[in-house]
Parts: sequence; structure tokens; C-alpha cells
Amino acid sequence: MKKVNLFAMIEDRDHVLRALQKAGDVMFVPTADDKVLPHASEVADEVAKASDAIKFLEQHATGKASLLAPKLQVPYEKFKQPTDRSKDLTDQVQALSEKIASLRNEAETMRVQVEKLEPWLSLDVPMEELKPTVNTETFAGYIADGSLDKLKKDLEPLTCELTPMGNTAEGQAVVVVAYKDDAEQVKHFLKACDYVDFVFPKRTGTAKEVAADLTSAAQEKDRLAAELEAESVKIASKKDSLCVYYDQLKAEGQRMTSSGQETEKTFHMQGWCRADRTDAVKEEIAHVTDVYDLTFADPGPEDIPPTVVENSKIVTPYQAVTDMYSIVHSGAFDPNPILAPFFCCFFGIMLSDAGYGVVIAIFFLAALKIFKLQGFAKKLFLVIGMGGLSTVFWGAMFGGWFGLTWHPFMFEPMKEPLKMLILCYALGAFHLVSGMCIKIYVEAKRGNAVGAFLDTGSWLILFAGLFIWGMWSPIGKYIAILGAAIIILFGDRENKNIIGRVFGGLYKLYGISGYLSDLLSYSRLFALGLATGVIAMVINTVAELLWKAGPIGIIVAILLLIGGHTFNIIINILGAYVHSSRLQYIEFFGKFFEGSGRAFKPLALETKYTDVTK
Amino acid sequence: MLTLGTALAFGGAAIAAGFAGVGSALGVAVAGEAAAGVMSEDPDKFGNVLVLQAIPGTQGIYGLLIAFIILLNIGAVGGDLKELTTFQGIAMLLAGFPIGLVGCVSGYTQGVVAACGISLTGKRPEETGKGITFAAMVETYAVLALLISFLMVNGIKL
Repeated sequence: MKKVNLFAMIEDRDHVLRALQKAGDVMFVPTADDKVLPHASEVADEVAKASDAIKFLEQHATGKASLLAPKLQVPYEKFKQPTDRSKDLTDQVQALSEKIASLRNEAETMRVQVEKLEPWLSLDVPMEELKPTVNTETFAGYIADGSLDKLKKDLEPLTCELTPMGNTAEGQAVVVVAYKDDAEQVKHFLKACDYVDFVFPKRTGTAKEVAADLTSAAQEKDRLAAELEAESVKIASKKDSLCVYYDQLKAEGQRMTSSGQETEKTFHMQGWCRADRTDAVKEEIAHVTDVYDLTFADPGPEDIPPTVVENSKIVTPYQAVTDMYSIVHSGAFDPNPILAPFFCCFFGIMLSDAGYGVVIAIFFLAALKIFKLQGFAKKLFLVIGMGGLSTVFWGAMFGGWFGLTWHPFMFEPMKEPLKMLILCYALGAFHLVSGMCIKIYVEAKRGNAVGAFLDTGSWLILFAGLFIWGMWSPIGKYIAILGAAIIILFGDRENKNIIGRVFGGLYKLYGISGYLSDLLSYSRLFALGLATGVIAMVINTVAELLWKAGPIGIIVAILLLIGGHTFNIIINILGAYVHSSRLQYIEFFGKFFEGSGRAFKPLALETKYTDVTK
Repeated sequence: MLTLGTALAFGGAAIAAGFAGVGSALGVAVAGEAAAGVMSEDPDKFGNVLVLQAIPGTQGIYGLLIAFIILLNIGAVGGDLKELTTFQGIAMLLAGFPIGLVGCVSGYTQGVVAACGISLTGKRPEETGKGITFAAMVETYAVLALLISFLMVNGIKL
């Protein structure tokens, strides 16, 4: 990793950044003195607008777009500059969606009003006349349910006319026209019945007329909205150009995230670049401008460079597994080449059905080819696809084919669980010891070989001794004691007090329980394999019972076989992936891993919908 | 003739499938509630939260597995029911307990952790993997219980 310092003219900035973005070699690091480019927030707004517009068109597109649809191919020359046409289209779509939303809103409000008028439909007086006259006062509103009879009785002696209307959830609708002198008393009785005024819409005519008017108006608005929606279905076919526009803006926004420090005419940016790409970067910049100063320096002691791990084509996908845990610290040991074979092997044992393995390998590797997946999805599919191949191997070893047993090359785990457990623990021990050896290697490389031997090597001696003792000869006993003695005597060597040091060492020795639980954790290899195999067997057994039940039974049995095995494969891929990861994260990484690194994210064309061809 | 031993063996299968199933049902429900909450904010996360919701479902499968092996061994699947001695039956009954009990508790608690993972996904979708890993930690004990139940059933000679 090299530290990059770039000075150039402000007028050239756009060209320089475009060239670097296209190549994707430099990661710029913003500093505190960076100023926000005035244009940046405009671009961000436009991105949000384009994103909304795409969402709107997706809702109106005929036929669902597939999640895994291949990306649009756009040549770089065309991708470079967003067209005004796309901008206009975005504005048009935005206006359209706002118009539709407001029309639907208005229509909804009107329909709510109509609903409220429901109990008043039998009122034959136009509602604008329901106001006080010289001699009368009118009350129109709701009283509590069931209090109508009481009100009738109360109002009998008074000079007024009570007309009951419809009954709704809000209560019993009533209209009372009272002589002015009695109005106060009427009000009082009404209040006793929890009377609430009803506010009529500000319109003229009887309730029936108004309701009819409102309904037709709402229908009209709905019709307009539907018309506009039909229009947007037509526009939806132009979604592709919006997608390109979105990616163009996104790329522009990314170029603007760091402005660097500016003088009147020049700017300065800092960042990181891979040591083997320095010449390429120089060339990229020289291609667009002559006026620049570019230097590369080694990282200083205070710098934390971002991490780049490079692996072979087969190992690279497994970076997805490691990155999910943490980015490897810059300069620390890259576990991927060692993690990959273990992960693949564990995945296979946990599925342990050759038939399933064939299905998984074909499906995931084919999907990768057909949909041209990129990034994380590509890695994930490759990891699972390779896991499928490993599953074929282990399935054949254990004789599992779609839940049926056929000629196991090793043994049948169901029949010989002890052998299977021993296999799991042996693989587990191998995994753990690999982790410990990495620790020794890393420490030794840092010049701490003695410490590594005392802290980790002592455990290896202890385990080797126990192993030899158990398998071959009692000499192992003495080797194990030697290992334990090193742990007790040197485990806590920082401690000055000799007694405290021995107790500290004894406490370290107690750490053997941790190793034991690590090892036992590998029994999940067997248990998850068992889960796959037995559920497959359950599906087959039930299908067999159905098969005997006649022609309909045969159809149901076939459906059950297909659906059941598919379900079993999916749920077990999930289990195998998660538990293989866990064995790496907790048992393996716990021994040596140094994480919390920073990912190397160079300024590059990160597109969501398009594939920019050079 | 159905012997007491055979009846007890049925009890073992019932405990394994029944209790582990209850645990998973509770767990999936808790996770599902959280998932629906996250979906209301951002429907695009459906795939991620569905994976998290599925995780507490496995305990029920483990229970089913042990129940099936018990039924298979005593001949309840396929028609030829064996006559077990009382002690054989008690052993079968006990063999159902590890996965029944642990499956019930870990199924529910894994659902709680998965629900938290789902909330995590809602706020920081890039951390879904860690949410899944946390949930998988709870599963360890169900896996161990499954193994012991299996070894117990396998060890009973009929």
C-alpha cells in the first residue's frame, strides 16, 4: 500500500477524477480541511429524485422485474455525461407521481365526507338552511346510542321538533328545530345525551345531492388518476434510461465526496493506492493533463493503511466469509487460503448428501453464469456452489443420495455414529491446530518466536503428548507433562512474584477447558449432517406411504418429493453456511485473527443498474 | 399387543417433536413480528429478514428428526410395531428429553436473538451477517442436544 499525494489544477479536477474513477485504483481519504463542493448537494438531491422516479416506475411496470436480472450494458463514452433528456424524464416522472398522489388523496377525502353524510341522507332540507332563523334555532348532530327515547320525552313539553336520522358508529343522528325561547333548554337536554355537533361540508343542497356530487367528483378524480397511471405505464418502458441516469449521478456524487484542499488555482488530495498500481495511476493522470504533481510514499508509523488481500481465483470468494466477520487488519495474516478448504469441507459434511450436492452445485454455478452476478452475490454463490461439490464428495463417502443409502465409500454415519464423531473431532483438531500454527508463524515473523513457543507451542506439545499417550505409547505422558510444565512456569511470565506466577500459570492451564469446548463444538458437523439425512428420509418414507395409496397418492407423493427436498436443501444450505462460518469465526479466528481493518474502497464506478463497458 | 414399553417410546417421540416444535413456533413467531416491523419501513430487506426468521425453525426439525428415528426404530413407521420391554420404553422416553427440552428453550431464545438481529438489519443492513451469527450461537446447544438424543436412541438395543 502506498500513500498517494496528488496536486493538480482545479480546472482539471473533473477530468482527473473521472480518469481515476474509471480505473478504480486510488482510494481518497478526506481530511478535516476539505470543503464541501457547492454542487454536491444538488447532485445528492437529483440522485434521490431519480431513485424515487425509478421506484415509481417499477410499481407501474407491467410484469415484475426479476431481482437477478442482468445489468444494462452501457459503453463508457455514453455513460460519461448524463443527458438532459434523462433529467427531463426524471422531472416528468416526479410531477406525474405527485399529481397522481394528490388526486388520489383528494378523492379519498371526498369519499370520507360522503361516508360521514350517510346518516343524513334522509334530511330533505338543504344544508345551508340549517342555520338559525329569526324565531328558531337548529341543532344537528349525534347523541349517544339508546338515548333517543329519553330525549323525546325530555323535549315533549318544549316548543321544538325532533327528527331522528340514521344511526352510525358515532351515535344516533338527530335534527332538532327549537323555538328561540326554548333553545337554551333544548341545548341542556341534548347535552345530557352526550350531544356532539355535526359539521356539514361547506356545500349547498340536500345531503343526498351533496353526497351524489361528492361521489361523482371523487370518481372523476379517480378517473384522472387512472389516466395518469396509464400514462406512467407507458413511460415505464423508459425506465432503463432512468437507471443509467441514476448510476451516472451516483458516480458524479462519489467524485464529489472529497474535494481535497484548494488554493485559488490548485487542489491537493491524499489517498491510498496499491504498490503495484502506482505506474498505472501515473499513466491515467498523465493521459488527461500535463500539469500535476503525483508522489507515492510508504505509510508512516502513524498511518493505518486500508487492507487489500489478494488470493487465487478459488480462494477469493471466501473473502466474503472473512469480511462478514471483520476486515483483516492491514499487514496482518490473511486467513483466506487456509479458511477456504476447511469451510468447503465442513459445508460438505454438514449437508452430506451427494444428490443434494449435485443439485446445489448445478443450480448455484449455473445461476452465476446466467445472471452474471457481481460483488458479494458472486462470492456467495461461488462459495455455496463449491460447497455443493464438496457435498457430492462427502455424500458419496457416507452413501447419502437424496435420503437413500447407496454404497458408502467410508461408512454410514447413522449406523456408526462413533466413527463419525471421531472424524468430526479429528477434522476439528486439525482446524484448531492450524489456527495455532498460524499464531506461532505470525508471532515468530514479528520477532517474538520465544513468546509464541511459550504461549502457543506449549499447548501443541501438551496436545501432541496426550495424543501419543492415547494412541501409541506411554511416552506421550511425559511429553504432555512437559507441555503442561511450560504452561505453568511460563504462562504468566510477566508476573514478578514467583508464587503468583505459578498460580497464574495454573490458571492458564485451566484454559484447556476452552480447547475442549472448542473441539466438542465440531460435533455439529455430525449433527447437521444427520439433520439433512434424516429429514430427507422422512420425506421419502411419507412419499412411499402416499405412493401406495393409488393414483392421486402418486401425484401428491411426487409433489411432496419435489417440494420437500427443495425445502430441505434450502434450510440446510442456510444451516451449513451459518455453522461453517461460526466454526471459522469462533474456533479458528479466536486463535490468531487480527481484525478491525479498513476495507480498500477505491474511487470507482460503483453501479447499481448498469455495467459500464470500457 | 401394545406394551407399556412401546407406549413409553411413543411418549419419547411426542416429547421430542412436541416440545422442540413449540420452541421453534414461538421463536419463528417472535422473529416474524420483528421482521414485519422492519418490512413496514423498507420492503427491500425481505430476503435478509426472511433468512433471520427461518433460523429458529431448525429446532422443530431436530425434534421431528429424533421423533422419526424413535418411531422408525420401534416399527411405528411401516406397520410392524415392536413390543418393547418397559425399560426399553423408559430409555426411549428419556432419549426424547434432551432435544425436547433444549429445543423448546433454545428455539424460543434463538427467536429473540433473531428478532434483535432483524432490528439490526433494519438499521444497518450491511451487518445482517453478524446478526445471523449471533442467532447461530444459540443453536449450538440444540445441536448438542440433538446429538445426545440421537446417540441415546441409537444405543437402545431392541
